[in-house]
Amino acid sequence: MSSYIIRKFLMLIPMLLVISFLIYLGMELMPGDAVDFLIPPDALATMNQEQLHAMREALGLNDPFFLRYLKWLWGMLHGDFGYSMQSGVPVLTLMKNHLPATIELTVTALVMSSVFGIILGVVCALKKGTVADQILSMIGMIGVAVPQFLLGLICINGFSLHLNILPVGGRMAYAGQTFLERLPYLVMPAVVLGFSLTAGVMRYGRSSMLDSMGKDYMKTARSKGIPEWRVNFLHGLRTAMTPVVVLIGFRLPMLIGGAVVVEEIFQWPGIGGLFVAAVRSQNTPLVMIIGFFSVLLVLLASIIVDIITALLDPRIKLS
Amino acid sequence: MKRGLEKKMDRILHLEQAGKAKRGIKNRALRKLLANRLSILGIIIFAVILIMCVFAPVFTSNSATKVDLKNILSPPSAGHILGTDKIGRDIWARVLYGGRISIAVGLGSALLATLLGVSLGTAAGYQGGRLDGMIMKISEILMSFPQIILVLMLVTITGQSLWNLIFIFSLTGWPSMYRMARSQVLSLREAEYVQALKAFGIGSMRIAFIHILPNAIGPIFVNVTLSTAMFILQEASLSFLGLGVPLEVATWGNILNAAQDLMILKNSWWVWLPTGIVVTLFVVGINFIGDGLRDATDPSQIG
Repeated sequence: MSSYIIRKFLMLIPMLLVISFLIYLGMELMPGDAVDFLIPPDALATMNQEQLHAMREALGLNDPFFLRYLKWLWGMLHGDFGYSMQSGVPVLTLMKNHLPATIELTVTALVMSSVFGIILGVVCALKKGTVADQILSMIGMIGVAVPQFLLGLICINGFSLHLNILPVGGRMAYAGQTFLERLPYLVMPAVVLGFSLTAGVMRYGRSSMLDSMGKDYMKTARSKGIPEWRVNFLHGLRTAMTPVVVLIGFRLPMLIGGAVVVEEIFQWPGIGGLFVAAVRSQNTPLVMIIGFFSVLLVLLASIIVDIITALLDPRIKLS
Repeated sequence: MKRGLEKKMDRILHLEQAGKAKRGIKNRALRKLLANRLSILGIIIFAVILIMCVFAPVFTSNSATKVDLKNILSPPSAGHILGTDKIGRDIWARVLYGGRISIAVGLGSALLATLLGVSLGTAAGYQGGRLDGMIMKISEILMSFPQIILVLMLVTITGQSLWNLIFIFSLTGWPSMYRMARSQVLSLREAEYVQALKAFGIGSMRIAFIHILPNAIGPIFVNVTLSTAMFILQEASLSFLGLGVPLEVATWGNILNAAQDLMILKNSWWVWLPTGIVVTLFVVGINFIGDGLRDATDPSQIG
C-alpha cells in the first residue's frame, strides 16, 4: 500500500507541471506586464522607450517565454507566488491571511454534512418506506437542486434581517473569544455550504445502505446470533460507507467551488471572497495562483479518498 | 396469497385476453419515462416555464427594459404581477425575458459541450493510441479543477460577455461527455458486429459514428439534461456575483443580483424570491427528467 501511495504522489508531479504551465500561459495572455503595473501612470508618461526597455531587461521580461516560465516555477517552489496587481502585497501574505477562515468554513461544512448525511441516510434505509423516509428523500431531491446563493439569501432574510438571531455575515477574527461567541458567524455559511452535500450524501448513503443490507454476509451475521444493531452498524454500515466516502471525495471540488459563492454572500473573509474580488478587478496573478492551489487541494484529496476507501473496505487492495 | 406483482400480471393477462389491452407507445424507453411520475412532473414544470419564456409577449404586456423611475420597488399589483425593481422595471417581464437567455445559455452550452465531448470521445476512443491518451490527459486536468473556479479563471482571461460564458461553459463541460462516449465506444469496439463491419471494409469513422455511437444515445441524453441544469445554476450563481453575463442583459442570475443589496433583500421580497423559486423549480424539473431518462434508458433495468 505504501508503494501505491508513493506512486500516486509521483504521478502528481507531471500533472502539476502541466497545470502550472497552463496557468503561467493564462497569466501571460493578459495584456500588460509587470512594468505597466509597477510604475504609476504619471511616471510612465515621462519615461521613454529605452528606459522601459532597460527596465524590462532588468526584470527579465525580455527573456524567452520558456525561460520566464522556469524562473516563475522556481520562484513558486521557493514560496514566491508573485504580487497582487491591486495592492502590491505578496500573494503568499494574502493567502496566509485568508486561509484560516476558509479552512474553518469548509472543514465545518464537510464534517457536518458527512455526519448528518450519513446518519440521515442510514435512518432512511432502516426505516425504508415510512413517512420520515419519504419526507427526507423529498428534501434531499430539492436540496441538490436549490442554488446555494438562493438558500443563503433566504437564510439571511429570515434569520438575520427579520428574526435578528444571527449576524448577516462576516467573521470574528480570532482574538481570545470563546468558541460560543464566534459560533453565530459560522452557523449560516457552514449550513448553506454543506446543505447540498448533506442531501447528496444522504441520498447516496440510503441506497448504499439498502444495498448492503440485502447482502449475504448480513444474513450470515444475523444467523450467528449477533444483535440486530451490531449487524446493521458494524457489518452493514462499514461496507456501505465505501461508496459514500468516494462520493464525498468527488464532491469536494464542489465544496471548494461552493465556498467561493458562500463566502461572497456572507462576506466571509476567506480565499473564496479574495478570489471573487480578484476576478472582479482582473487581478490575474492572484486568480491564477488561487486556481492552482484549488487544483492541488483536489488532487491531494483524491489520493486521501483512495486511502480511506482501502482502509474501510477489506475487499479493496491498492496496488 | 398472491403478491402485488402477480396480481398486476394477472390483471394485464386478463385485459389482453379480453382484447382490451392498451397498445401504447412502442419505444420502451419513452414508455418507461412516461410511467415515471416524477419525470412527468419534471416534464410539466420544464414545458410550462419554457413555453412561458419563449412566448413571453403573450404572458406579459410589460417591457422588460422600460425604466419607470416614478414607480420603483413597488410591491406586486395588478399592473405589475411581481412588482418592479429598483429602477422601476417590471419583474415578471424580466423573469420571462430573462428566462430566454438563461435557458439558452444552459441548453446551448450543454449541447455544445456534448457535441465536442461526444465527437472527440467517439473518434479518439475508436482510434485509441497517442491522440486518445492526450485528450484523456487534457480531460483529466480540466476535471481536476473545481468547476466554478476554472470558469472564473477563464472569465478573467476572456472578459465578461454572453458568448464568452457559453464558450467557457462548453470548454469546461466537455470532459465528462468525452469520458462517457469513450467508455461506450471502448466497450463495443471489439464487439462481433463491429468486426463484421470491418470485414466489409467500412471506414473506421463511419463505424464509430454510425454503428457504435447510437448505442450511447441514452446516456448522452441524460448528460445533456443534467448539464443543462448545472449550467443554468452556474449562470445564475455567476451573474448573481456580477461575474457572469453583463448586468444590462436580463437573465435569472442578473435579476437575483439585486438581492445583494441588504435593503432590497429585507424589504422587497418580490425582487428576488419569485425569480429564485423559478430557477430552482426549473432545475428541479430538469433533474427529474434526467433521473427518469437514466432509469428509462439503462438496459440493466427491465420494465
